[in-house]
Amino acid sequence: MGPFRSASGPAERSDPDLDNLLTLVARGDQGAFESVYDRLAGPVYGLIRKVLRDPAQSEEVAQEVLLEVWRTASRFDPGKGSAVTWVLTIAHRRAIDRVRSETAAAEREQRSATAPVAVDETAESVEASLEAERVRRCLDGLTELQRESITLAYYGGYSYPQVAALLDTALGTIKTRIRDGLIRLRDCLGVSW
Amino acid sequence: MKLRRPNLHALAGPYALDALDGAERDRFERHLRGCRTCENEVRGFAATATALALAAAAQPPAGLRERVLAATTVTRQLPPVIARRRGVPAVSRSPWVPRLALAVGAAGVAAAAVLAAVQVSTQDRLNSALAHSQEIAVVLAAPDARIASAPTTVGGTAIVVVSRTERKMVVTSSGLPELPSSKVYELWLMGPGGTRPAGLLPPPSSGKTAPVLASGVLAGDTVGMTVEPAGGTSSPTTTPILVLPLPA
Ligand SMILES: [Zn+2]
Repeated sequence: MGPFRSASGPAERSDPDLDNLLTLVARGDQGAFESVYDRLAGPVYGLIRKVLRDPAQSEEVAQEVLLEVWRTASRFDPGKGSAVTWVLTIAHRRAIDRVRSETAAAEREQRSATAPVAVDETAESVEASLEAERVRRCLDGLTELQRESITLAYYGGYSYPQVAALLDTALGTIKTRIRDGLIRLRDCLGVSW
Repeated sequence: MKLRRPNLHALAGPYALDALDGAERDRFERHLRGCRTCENEVRGFAATATALALAAAAQPPAGLRERVLAATTVTRQLPPVIARRRGVPAVSRSPWVPRLALAVGAAGVAAAAVLAAVQVSTQDRLNSALAHSQEIAVVLAAPDARIASAPTTVGGTAIVVVSRTERKMVVTSSGLPELPSSKVYELWLMGPGGTRPAGLLPPPSSGKTAPVLASGVLAGDTVGMTVEPAGGTSSPTTTPILVLPLPA
């Protein structure tokens, strides 16, 4: 059992309970924030880690994101999407920002090698495995180009012109494949929004 | 809704995966505000991306929980955004005061600090800085210039003078913590035109920074400040230490 799971259950894509918790967080409720942390720190850290790969850097960005959730909870609008989506959107954007600024920095200076930090690669929660299985099944239903475009962009942190270059495919094609793939994925996962 | 730009709709996919950069993202965000089809689609795609995110969940490192919880005890939260209703004048709690009405008080001190900083920069950088200083002077002297000072979350105070007619603002600071040479304080304009870099604070001299001039201020903009790698970045990468909505 990981510390990011609480007795009240795993993080679901849409979790009204979590929406309410964020409303309490906006009022400065520390206890509510702990519950939000326990449900979302795993997905937040895992997603950032998937994009950045470097564990130390991922931890730093995850800490920034989770603190930002505390700081900006009043800006969460349940009318615009679920709390889970709100938090994970922030996490993904911060990871991407880091990738882009790192890319720019790498062109300026040689990055000193960071010591690898030991992490337990198998420390995924049961819920994450189930969600991962569902996602894997639906990704399998996409065309290869759709699947590669989406995973390179989302998990790989590449911009779509970079994806086009990596896959040696026209920009316009990648643009539409990402959209078509997302529509198919959305319908396969039965996402409601 | 802009039927003559159908290619923009297709960007909903890359946008939802944060795969658009710079100008293209700004352009799509502008389109998004007026296109219900894309708004709806982006919302569905964002929920789909959430499934991808949850599938990547991993055990966070030990100690992260304690550090985050400890940080919350010393981090002030943002107030909610209040939607203004038409016909109901909002109670003026705005930190902004007309620049010309200043004679006494804390804001007067802030104005004096701005002016002193202008003089310092004029003396220091002479000719090359002269045009720049004159531009700053124009903002300070604009009839509609307004000034506010606001504390940052890391300490110290930022002083902002803005003129809507000039569409420019001038920012100085006092008492900000000194940064290592690898970092810089970067200013941002955040609003309808997206988030745009608005300049870097120069290194402080005796605790104060020389004024930075930013143009292209739009109605509805908010000024932000973040700590960034030296040289600055094109979009903020850290949590803002200052968020100050400009006067309407
Ligand atoms: Zn559209």
